[in-house]
Parts: sequence; C-alpha cells; structure tokens
Amino acid sequence: MKKIICLVLVLMLSVSCKDDDTLETTSIDISFANTINSQNIELSTGVYQTTLGESYSINELKYIISNISFIKEDGGIFTYPVEDSYFLIDEEVPSSKIITLENIPVANYSKIKFGIGVDQSNYPLNGVDNFVPTAEESQMLWSWSAGYIFFKIEGDYSPSGNQPDEGFLFHIGSHGTNLDNYKTVELSSNFGFNFTENTLVYINADIPKLFNAVYDIRIEDKSDIQVDPVNAPKIAENASQLFSSIPQNKR
Amino acid sequence: MSKLILCMVLILCLACSGDETNYVEISENKILDFPQPDFFPQPVYNLEENPPTEKGFELGKKLFYDGKLSSTGVISCGFCHVQEFSFTHHTHEVSHGVDGALGTRNAQPLMNLAYLEEFSWDGAAQHLDAFSIIPITTDTEMNETVSNVINKLKSDEVYNELFAEAFNNGEVNTQNMFRALSQFMVMMVSADTKYDKVLEGNSVFSEEESAGQSLFEAKCASCHEGILFTDQSYRNNGLSIDLRYNDIGRERVTGLEEDKYKFKVPTLRNIMVSLPYMHDGRFQSLKEVLDHYDSGVESTQNLDPSLQQEISLGISLTEIEKNQLISFLKTLTDDNFLLDRRFSEF
Ligand code: HEC
Ligand code: HEC
Repeated sequence: MKKIICLVLVLMLSVSCKDDDTLETTSIDISFANTINSQNIELSTGVYQTTLGESYSINELKYIISNISFIKEDGGIFTYPVEDSYFLIDEEVPSSKIITLENIPVANYSKIKFGIGVDQSNYPLNGVDNFVPTAEESQMLWSWSAGYIFFKIEGDYSPSGNQPDEGFLFHIGSHGTNLDNYKTVELSSNFGFNFTENTLVYINADIPKLFNAVYDIRIEDKSDIQVDPVNAPKIAENASQLFSSIPQNKR
Repeated sequence: MSKLILCMVLILCLACSGDETNYVEISENKILDFPQPDFFPQPVYNLEENPPTEKGFELGKKLFYDGKLSSTGVISCGFCHVQEFSFTHHTHEVSHGVDGALGTRNAQPLMNLAYLEEFSWDGAAQHLDAFSIIPITTDTEMNETVSNVINKLKSDEVYNELFAEAFNNGEVNTQNMFRALSQFMVMMVSADTKYDKVLEGNSVFSEEESAGQSLFEAKCASCHEGILFTDQSYRNNGLSIDLRYNDIGRERVTGLEEDKYKFKVPTLRNIMVSLPYMHDGRFQSLKEVLDHYDSGVESTQNLDPSLQQEISLGISLTEIEKNQLISFLKTLTDDNFLLDRRFSEF
C-alpha cells in the first residue's frame, strides 16, 4: 500500500513540476535591410530621386525598433520581453542591422509586429531607461527633453533634382502628450515565420517611401523637421509604411 | 499513514515551487512611508512601481550630492539645487554649471515633485525618472554622458554595494540610477507651513496675512491654484522678452505657435527663499514680482487672457495690498523642510 502511494506521488511530482519553459524555444535573427530601388544605400555618395523630382543623398539613417511580438495563425501572441526589445538600427553599422532574439517558442507564426520608437505609455517602465546609453551614444536622444529620437535621417538634397547641395534633416520623436509619434508595424506574410525550419527573418525598409508612402513630402517645403506638430507626424506615418518581410529564398 | 501522505504532499509543494523562492527579499531594505499630507491630492508619481526604500533613498541622496555625475567631477545636482533655498540655485538668475558655463534658465525648486505631471519650466520631461538625462547631458549643466556616469559608478566599489542593497536585481544601470534619484526626490514633501497649520486649525493668520490671503484668492489663485499653488498649466504672465535668451517656452516642446512664451505656473511654496524669480530669474524680490503684475505686464504674444481683464494690463495692486500679499506669501515657508537633515548633504 505504502509503495503504491509512493509511486503515485512520485508520478504526480514529475507531472506537476513540468512547467512552461520546457516548451521548445529557439533564438532567431531579424535582419534589416534599408534599400533604395532594391539596392543597398550608398551613404553620402549615392544620389536618389523622390517622386516629386527632388534629388537627395543620405549621410545618416537610424531608427529604434521596440516591442516585438509574433502572432500565430490562431491569433496566439508571443510578446518578446519588453525590457529586452529595444534595438537601434544604424545604416552605417552593419552589426546593428541584425538583431538576435532569444527564447522564442518554436512555432509557425504568420505575423510579426514591432514598434518604431519608444512607446511613451511605457515611460518609465520596462527598461526604457536602460536603453538611454545606447541611444545617447548614437545621438538618438534629445537631451533637452529627456526623450528618444525614434527615426533620424540626415543628408543633402536639391529641389531641382541636381547634385544635392543643401542639407536636410528629419528627427522624429514624441513630445509631450499631444505629439506622440510612436508607430507600430505589423507584417504578415503567406510564407510565414516558421521557426521550426529556419530562424532568420528578413525585413526590408524601402526608404524612398519615406517621401511618398502616405504623404507626399517635398523636402524643400521644410528641410528641417524636428519638433513639428504638422510635419513630424507625416514623416512618422510614412516611416511606418517602409517595411516588408521578404522570404528567405528571394534573398 | 496519513502522516506519510502529508509528508509527501509537502515535498510535492516544495519541489514544484520554481523561481519564486529564488527571489530573496532583501530584508533590511525597508520601504519608507511616503509622507502624504492630509490636504494634498494623490501623488502622480507611481510609488508602487518604484517605492522609496531606505537603501534606495540613501543611494539617491549620495548620487544627488555627487560631482561624479558631471564631466568635471565637481558639479552635483545639489550644486544648483541647494536645500536651504528650497533646492534652488540661490542668487543665480540663470544657473551655471561646469566651468562656470551659463544656462538660460533659473533652477526650479525641488519639492512636492511626486505631485507634478511634467517637469521643467516648459514641461520638456514627462517623467521624473527620465528627468536627470537633462542636467547630466546639458553642456551648460553637468556636460556629461549617461554612459560615462554609469561607467564611473560601475568602477566604484561603494556604489556597487549600494546598488546591490537598494535594488532586487542589484545592477548598476541607468534605470536603477534614475529610480534611486527619484526615490530621494519624491520623498521631499513640503507641507508644514503656517498656511498648512491654519488649514489644520492649529494656527491663525494675522489680520495682514488674512487680507493677503483674500487678495491672493481673488487675484492669483486662478493660476497659482490649490494646495500646490499651481494648476500645472503653461501660461504667459506678461514678462518682457529677454533678447539674450529669446526663450520661447512651451513652444519648444509642442512646436505650437499658441504655446510661445508660455511657462509652467510655478508653485509658490517656500517662495520667500527661492529667489530670484521667474524662469530666467529676472526679479530679485517679491516686491519686484508684484510690481510686475501691477504695472510691468507686457502685451507679448499669447499673454494670458486673465491678465487682460482690467483697464490696464495686469493686476492692479496698491502698495498696501502688495504688503498684504507678501505677508501671506511668507506663511508658505516650511522651515522644517528646509532644514530637514534627511535631505541635507552633510
Ligand atoms: C547647472 C545647474 C543644475 C544642475 C547641476 C542640476 N539642475 Fe536641476 N534644474 C536646473 C534648472 C536651470 C532647471 C530648470 C530647467 C528648465 O526649465 O529647463 C532645473 C530643473 C530641475 C527639475 C524640474 C523641477 C520641476 O519642478 O519641474 C528637477 C526634478 C531637477 N532639476 C533635478 C535635478 C537633478 C536630479 C540633478 C542632478 C542629476 C540636477 N537637477 C542638476 C539646474 C540644474
Ligand atoms: C495668468 C496666470 C497667473 C496669475 C493670475 C498670476 N501668476 Fe504668478 N506666475 C504665473 C506664471 C506662468 C509664472 C512663471 C512665469 C515665467 O517664469 O515665465 C508666475 C510666476 C510667479 C512668481 C515667481 C515664482 C518663481 O518661483 O520664480 C511669483 C512669486 C508669482 N508668480 C506670484 C504671483 C502673485 C502674487 C499673483 C497674484 C498677484 C500671481 N502670481 C498671479 C502665472 C500667473
């Protein structure tokens, strides 16, 4: 009798101790490519055209990615730990364009979701402040407002489409409660993100859309856009439309 | 028999408790009682998210008074925020920081910060925990980088110990540094003035003070409202534009023309000791401030409508009324706070 009870209890012990983290997990890489006409950007030297006939070159291109989650066909969501989800993508630094996420439950996801910038409703929670040194080193911090620059592009342009020789800069972020430029991006794909098969996600940012995705931007109209309640939200909206996920075999 | 089962169930329970028991509560680190005054609103600061603790407060205080937070190693927060002057930069119109570099604004008093929705004269910072980025990195203040400060703290044994004691994860990182500073600062509650004692029924105003109070309520309290003496809005109170700084105020934060020259309505608690006055410290005395409201208000862009109600701009005041107002404002000084050893450097 005692033996049977013992056996049952030991069995219960082994069953009841199995908790969630015995689920199979994997680490994955997300690779960001910033492109113009499907080509990599040539910083400083490349000259590109907007649909409004202006030409431009890019000296600096940076943005913050945050709040990453994966969504399954059945709607199930895996949210990556928010405090670990802040990343800075800097066109000039190749290593910054591949971000590694650990402990993702292995599954076939149909969508990936992420934020551009920092969700202000999170201030100061979830490690937002621990991203300060990274942002600071890359000049993605407005020190006068203790706030993050979400998206930054600087370069030269020419209104008439000639060799760019006038500076432009867009520094987009949130200011106060009435100017919130945090955006989320949701990418779905029919090929899915099946982490049982491969653990690489390719995301393309089609940079020219910054000037025409939703709003047509004529750089000459305002070549310095920072704290700007009219123009900054337009750039932020366009920026949220840059991204698409591309199947691995198309690379 | 039943004992055996009990025993096994116990083992079962123990065996299955996971991470939770690995989390050891640092028993000596007591949570401090937040000194919520009876007549105050609920704090805006999330005290549950970052509850001030004994060790966190101690760490925050050390950071507050440590020149390490600046590039030259000598400018601490306490350099510009001096306790006996309600944590302002006494006698400095605009604060000066590293190597005597001049800023463009007057240091604000630090008290009752737990009740503020936004920070700085124009509301540039929305959370106290992030605020310190501004003084640390501003070239005319501490002219340092947050990364450097963290590195300096990491290589300091005393700080390593203090962070370990103050926070469960024990890490020397930005979040913990900011949280410690906030723990120190939110505990600075000032509500022990004659004015408060009168409210509580433990003191009475003199005739002069009473007259001042009535005047204040009629002419000033629409902006310097309520128990905190500010409605926390941004307004233009008619100061002439100082071309040296051409400070656009709130417009810097919102980008809106309609916010040009608006500044946060400041609290008037401890106003006797926090001179000089206004965002650029242009007035040296309360008399000068009242003269401004009486006869100095200028019709600059976005001047507050409430200062355009009388025949001439501003708020007309007789000399007698000015004295009465000053007598009332004097009842807003909290000596116990200004001398409270918990907040003092030494
Ligand atoms: C060089 C002088 C100087 C130093 C050093 C300094 N401050 Fe300040 N502080 C100021 C000035 C000036 C303001 C007003 C800022 C503004 O409106 O732009 C201010 C404002 C503040 C406020 C906002 C108060 C309110 O009512 O909104 C807080 C909080 C504060 N300081 C905390 C700190 C802390 C913490 C440190 C150290 C990390 C620090 N300060 C270092 C000069 C200084
Ligand atoms: C229209 C709103 C308004 C009214 C009415 C008003 N104030 Fe003010 N007060 C302000 C604003 C805004 C500031 C800060 C202005 C700045 O620095 O640019 C201020 C600043 C002050 C200061 C300086 C505080 C400091 O820390 O530097 C004092 C003192 C003051 N007011 C007293 C009074 C008195 C007394 C009255 C009534 C006679 C009054 N105020 C009426 C809005 C108002």
